[in-house]
Amino acid sequence: MEWHFGPETGSPFWLERARTLEFDPRTDVKTHEDLKLFPNVAAELRNVRVEDLIPRGYGARPDAVGVFESGGTTGAPKRVVLLRDWLDRMLATSNANLDAHGFERGANWLGIVPTGPHIVGEYFRRSADTHGTRGFTIDLDPRWVKRLIAQGKGRDAGAYAEHLIDQAEFVLRSQDIGVLTITPSLLERLAQRDDLVELVNEKVHAIRWGGTQLDPDSRHLYRTEIFPGTVLCGNYGSTMILGMAGERPGLPDPGPCVFDAPSPYVTFSVVDPENLRTVGYGERGRVLVSHVSKSFLLPNNLERDLATRVAPPEDGVGDSVADIAPVAVFENETVIEGVY
Amino acid sequence: MAGPPSGPLRLEALGAGGSYRARNRMDVTDVSGRSVAELSLVPSLFVNRTLRALRRTSPLPADERIGLIVRAAELFATSTLSGQSPEEYVHTVSRVGGVPISVVRRAMRTTAARLSRVYDSVQRARPAGTVNDWRDPLTRTGRGVWSRRGDVFAVHAAGNHPGPHSLWPEALALGWRVAVRPSRRDPFTPHRLITALRTAGFPDDQVVLLPTDHTQADSLVRGADLGMVYGGEDIVRKFAGDPTVLIQGPGRSKILLTADVDWRAHLDTIVDSVSGHGGTGCVNTTAIYMEGDPAPLCAALVERLSAPVGLPPEDEEAVLPVQPAAAARAIEAYLLRMAAGTRPWLGGDGIVEDLKDGGAALRPAIHQLDRPDAPQAGVELPFPCVWVAPWTPQDGVAPLRNSLVLNAITRDDRLIDRLIAEPTISNVYVGDHRTHFMESGLPHDGYLAEFLMRSKTIIRD
Repeated sequence: MEWHFGPETGSPFWLERARTLEFDPRTDVKTHEDLKLFPNVAAELRNVRVEDLIPRGYGARPDAVGVFESGGTTGAPKRVVLLRDWLDRMLATSNANLDAHGFERGANWLGIVPTGPHIVGEYFRRSADTHGTRGFTIDLDPRWVKRLIAQGKGRDAGAYAEHLIDQAEFVLRSQDIGVLTITPSLLERLAQRDDLVELVNEKVHAIRWGGTQLDPDSRHLYRTEIFPGTVLCGNYGSTMILGMAGERPGLPDPGPCVFDAPSPYVTFSVVDPENLRTVGYGERGRVLVSHVSKSFLLPNNLERDLATRVAPPEDGVGDSVADIAPVAVFENETVIEGVY
Repeated sequence: MAGPPSGPLRLEALGAGGSYRARNRMDVTDVSGRSVAELSLVPSLFVNRTLRALRRTSPLPADERIGLIVRAAELFATSTLSGQSPEEYVHTVSRVGGVPISVVRRAMRTTAARLSRVYDSVQRARPAGTVNDWRDPLTRTGRGVWSRRGDVFAVHAAGNHPGPHSLWPEALALGWRVAVRPSRRDPFTPHRLITALRTAGFPDDQVVLLPTDHTQADSLVRGADLGMVYGGEDIVRKFAGDPTVLIQGPGRSKILLTADVDWRAHLDTIVDSVSGHGGTGCVNTTAIYMEGDPAPLCAALVERLSAPVGLPPEDEEAVLPVQPAAAARAIEAYLLRMAAGTRPWLGGDGIVEDLKDGGAALRPAIHQLDRPDAPQAGVELPFPCVWVAPWTPQDGVAPLRNSLVLNAITRDDRLIDRLIAEPTISNVYVGDHRTHFMESGLPHDGYLAEFLMRSKTIIRD
């Protein structure tokens, strides 16, 4: 807090924002729980100049890797700046997690993940470069897909997805790909092509999924029937946390998929969205995320995902999260004419 | 009478590799909100893999599959299946769907009877110029052969009444592999029917039950060669224009009474058309068009339809449909909003009869409209709800369009000609026949086989 709210070191955005806070972060915020004093300022990141987000303590020439944007599901995207020291820290954590899952070092990676302004594409490249040897990528614009779906053009969105899988096939056939990074919905498309499933089983020793959620039944099918000899490892990330939480290694098959936050920098709480109170262990709630690193401060950002609250690993802060899912809807309950 | 089962039933998905207990399960509650069953919901990955497995298999020989369906019909109506006796099944469907138990029991028997005649039923749809098999000697000189338009047929099923489940087994009889996505309001009937088919001897990869979350419901229909979808106006709009989907939308069944007949002689038929089977069917009458003053008819209907009292659906005397109280109130609010400006004869100040156990019976509603083209006449709701409108010969066929069943109580043969010629009227019943009359071998909304099959010329040396 000293760093982010000290006039010499804090970012122009937070120094300005601090004037309207009803507390003094430098004296009032001492524990993880105290972060809940902060308002959720995520929406303000739609309009802030990116220069104003960089803490002054980084000096006149901060080592910024890039500017990244949220998906843009709800209106204009929110922007964040990825600084070198945080990237290196995040990659070290993430690579150690991959090692624990049995990802072999030095493999070639193929990424079928959002690129362009999306941080996941950047992490893909950096992970492939540091954990693996090199990364092959395919362009994926998730905003266009969302727009198509919102306009009821599900078939067009499906055609785009098939186009991506077609491109992936060229890389898979011709190159020695050991690690596949992919979103759950594209993995499902891929799994519909028997020849590609065979190719993946032949070449790829580990699949890393992320971006959206993988339901437990699909996860079980992949692990037991479709890719039985392949490591399947999820990560739960978002632009607003500037990174991701890796799947806990060594989980038993029938159990839920648990993600541990890269705490203490990024922390999760599973809360009742009405009052932001933490729910009990094993109960469902919304995921509340805080990012507190030297490079960035974003406390109390309520994500749209639901999760089960799980105890963190031994030295962890906050909660771990499991079985992340959107709210399920089985049937439209409003009155629609007709008897069925 | 069978009581409710001790714990919630486990309703598993019935996949191509056997039954599947999913990690994602949904609570199925009865009309009082009590848990009755736990339904496994499968993801689209499972759906797509299952559809591919169905596509890879071949149908059983025709005679064998008909034999198995006939055997399954018997099992469906008489055997304990998945630990559930026929009476327990009937009780559960009644409690969850709110359909009177006597109606469910009758539907079970009717379904069994229809399935036992499934071959005769589908054969009536076969064009006279075709044969069933290319090996028929007639193809040596050239002949139409009745052939499937695909391999996998998907059904997005109804939950208002068990009856519609007697239709899709015709696809199985024709050699299709069939995937059924059940309704939340009645997953029991297709589960029992498919269990019966498998117990009779159908391999798991011929007919499957794939319960899915609402967001994934489309993947089943889109992934099959042809599909049949039951639903309201929303479903009709969603699939309209898709030639691979047969839409079973609102029925909007109607009765026409002309001045040359005395409606009093048909009152029993009219009342039963409106309220028979709990009034929840697409074949129950939604609107009555009457030449002359509708008021005396309305008064007579009030007298007859006021009689039934609201009872829990599992009561042998129950005749009215029951819904969870909140759902019943929503239907009531919708009715009252739609009925604004009409003349209420019955139910004008509400139709909900609270049963004090979380459920509520839906009492009949009768409203008089002042003109034949009033929009309310198309408002079909899942309880005995009828709109009575004036009609004159000058109004002609226009207000009678878009009817699953039109019961024409008239002696005017030229009018009957025009009604039968009208493309948007599916069935015309002339005289003293209930709109919910249905019989094995008679087309319901056309023959299903008209959609599933086509004729191909085969000629050989």
